Amino acid sequence: MTTQTFPSTPQVRKRRVMTLTRQRTMTGWLMALPAVVFASVFIFYPLARGAWVSLFRWDGLSADMTWVGLRNYVNVFNDPIYWDAIGHTFQYAIGVTVIKNVLALVLAVLLNRKLRGRGFFRVATFIPVIMSFVVVGILWSWIFNPTFGLLNGLLNAVGLESWIHGWLSDPSIALWSVISVDVWKWTGFHIVIILAGLQSIPEELDEAAALDGAGRFRIFWNITLPMLRPVLTFSILMSLVGAFVSNYDLVKVMTGGGPSHSTEVALTWIVNTTFSGLNVGKANAMSMILFLLVIAIGALQLRVMTRRNDISR
Amino acid sequence: MSTYEALPLSVDRETASEIIHDRPPRRRKVGVLTPAYVASRAVTYVIMAVTILLTVYPLIWMVLGGFKSGSEFYANIWGLPSSLDFSNFVYSWNAGNLGQKFINSIVVTLGTMALVLPITSMAGYALAKIRFRGRRAIYVFILLGIMVPFGVIAIPVFTVIVDLGLLNTLVGLVLVYTANAIPLGVFLMYSFFESIPDELEEAAQVDGCSPFGAFFRIILPLARPGLATQVILTGTSVWNEYFMASLLIHQDSLQTLPLGLVIFTSRFGTNYPQLFAALTIVTLPMIILYLSAQKQFISGLAAGAVKG
Repeated sequence: MTTQTFPSTPQVRKRRVMTLTRQRTMTGWLMALPAVVFASVFIFYPLARGAWVSLFRWDGLSADMTWVGLRNYVNVFNDPIYWDAIGHTFQYAIGVTVIKNVLALVLAVLLNRKLRGRGFFRVATFIPVIMSFVVVGILWSWIFNPTFGLLNGLLNAVGLESWIHGWLSDPSIALWSVISVDVWKWTGFHIVIILAGLQSIPEELDEAAALDGAGRFRIFWNITLPMLRPVLTFSILMSLVGAFVSNYDLVKVMTGGGPSHSTEVALTWIVNTTFSGLNVGKANAMSMILFLLVIAIGALQLRVMTRRNDISR
Repeated sequence: MSTYEALPLSVDRETASEIIHDRPPRRRKVGVLTPAYVASRAVTYVIMAVTILLTVYPLIWMVLGGFKSGSEFYANIWGLPSSLDFSNFVYSWNAGNLGQKFINSIVVTLGTMALVLPITSMAGYALAKIRFRGRRAIYVFILLGIMVPFGVIAIPVFTVIVDLGLLNTLVGLVLVYTANAIPLGVFLMYSFFESIPDELEEAAQVDGCSPFGAFFRIILPLARPGLATQVILTGTSVWNEYFMASLLIHQDSLQTLPLGLVIFTSRFGTNYPQLFAALTIVTLPMIILYLSAQKQFISGLAAGAVKG
């Protein structure tokens, strides 16, 4: 920015008002510029670049890029593993969202009263939230270990031998095992949000309904739930977004997408295609398709956030 | 409803509603402890206890596992270790080169915050408080970044980092993390600054402060809670990040902790007590930090984890 000095003589006052406006515009742009540059270089440019690269055959390393038009997309559409992975991504996202929110809602409603140890409960159930998915994943791989793991040990001890499974090695349940770990990590977080929402409902409402003869279930259904809607929307949306695009770490650490692709999600398959398949063009085509699939959720999130950012505090 | 009818008529309105909602009366009265009330509380306490156990026991198990010897680990899955033997921790620390990885994680986390905090507060302030041409467009542009999940553009970002010659550098990682934190950060700071009355900085400017001066002297100190939220939010997510790090760092000496842990697992994966010791070493500082500032952590993460 050029530094300008303003002699405060009456003759230049008019000019000064004009330059002040200009100076304000300059200041505004300068202050916002770094954020704009970062968003451009590392979010929007990569998006455009990914769309461009998806039209080439490229191993990601050499200078040799061959234009193939939409052939990568045709390949993706004919790749059954990718569509399985997309199916798993949806199963994961929806499963995690439903289970986390139902569990959290039930627990939050139970906890929404003066109880001894409630503070401790909140602090304790929130611990996994701050932990890395890597640590959580490694730990739970151990809990699920078929021979020495805690879970099968427990089932053995209580006489439920028939429930014993290879939690991560059986293709029919491996994905659900991974999903349950995600639920374990994040439920405490949703309890906190929903509890905050419950506590913001004025007690008088419930009391009035109770005096009018409404039972507890009716109060919950007709008063609590509607009052809770913004908070629930927020909570559900957050778990959806999180599950769609940050399931990579857990899957990678716990199963690596196996056994026989039964836990493969879109992101693990994209990374696999890039680094093992050395097919960066196709990987980018997959990324673009995934982007189009999740953009609706992103748009919804942006709308909810900007319209009611009061819930987020 | 039945609860209400079963109450003695002498109970006043306030107490009645407290009982219906199982809120313990502030002034405890005889006759309030109906069997249904007691049972419902008992069930709640049991559910609470089970949930806490489910959450905390795996962690306790992890810490205890680190103290066990190899044979003890298999023979004694549940119990306490026979002695407080720190040799697994020492071994993991050295074999996994965890000291170096701690330093890398700290550098990356602090580096990211050193960029994110000033950048988002400047942008948030300018967009909320300075009336200038183009501010609406800039605001929308940055916010649109929230719609682009970072995982989805991971591979293109990887390519861009390669183009910039930043593959295998901590700087590359810091830049990517910063970009990831910016849209939400700007949004948080924007909402924060918008709630600060205009008169404050108008007064400052009348007193001769430039917009920059008003920002640094008056507004920024007021924005401390917003900054604290961001420190928690960015700090935790960067400290725990694995996906981008695994794409951008392919050199042992540059690994961050999550990346190092995964490599450690693939190399020493059969040495479970040592693996558990490593997990404990990595997790404990974060848990201690959390326990010493849990209110800030909980409200910070709840405020901003919108981006997952």
